Amino acid sequence: MRGANEGLAPANYKDPLIEAFKKGVDVTLIRENLRLTVDQRFQQLMKLQEVAEELRRAGRKARLQK
Amino acid sequence: MTDFKALLRLLTENQVEFIIVGGAAATVHGSARLTLDLDIVYRRSDDNISRLVNSLSSIQPYLRGAPPGLPFEWSTRTLKMGLNFPLITSFGALDLLGEIVGGGSYEELLPETIKVEIAGVDCRCLNLERLIQVKRAAGRPKDLEVVAELQSILEERGE
Repeated sequence: MRGANEGLAPANYKDPLIEAFKKGVDVTLIRENLRLTVDQRFQQLMKLQEVAEELRRAGRKARLQK
Repeated sequence: MTDFKALLRLLTENQVEFIIVGGAAATVHGSARLTLDLDIVYRRSDDNISRLVNSLSSIQPYLRGAPPGLPFEWSTRTLKMGLNFPLITSFGALDLLGEIVGGGSYEELLPETIKVEIAGVDCRCLNLERLIQVKRAAGRPKDLEVVAELQSILEERGE
């Protein structure tokens, strides 16, 4: 039986397209996150969701007031 | 908003066998990207499907994006007849996946997971290397940026 990962490139494979996208990655944010515990990363994610929701609400309100 | 911690606690306390994949798995590994749903690959054994159905019944699971009023029976029968279920619950968005592209089933993915503690409970999460592979295998344009970030994390970790 073929394994589910058979034929897949290794995780560190340098795909030219992905390498181009890497130029847009903010490594400073990654470094900050790697200093956090997994629990803290989820706490941050949930705070980020709250902020995103608040921004969406503000946008909706502004559109209605136009 | 999705309460990731409450969902993970609920599943774990009910002994559901699952693996965190997708954006939440990327968060585990240090991704700074915003994800709005919890994606899990669940074990498709009869016992586990029963535990999954029982655990989520209290949080009103319903098919996400389905037209209002569409009949949806949350039961072991429904889960056995389908494979992947994008759900909305009172704890937020939860995607139940029987299999994932480039990864396969729960049993196939299990050897490539790590144990992580989130909200005081131990969960299984796809390891970074495998997550990169399945994201690449998914082949969606939106995953290109994700793979770029995950590979950058791999490089930061010196692997």
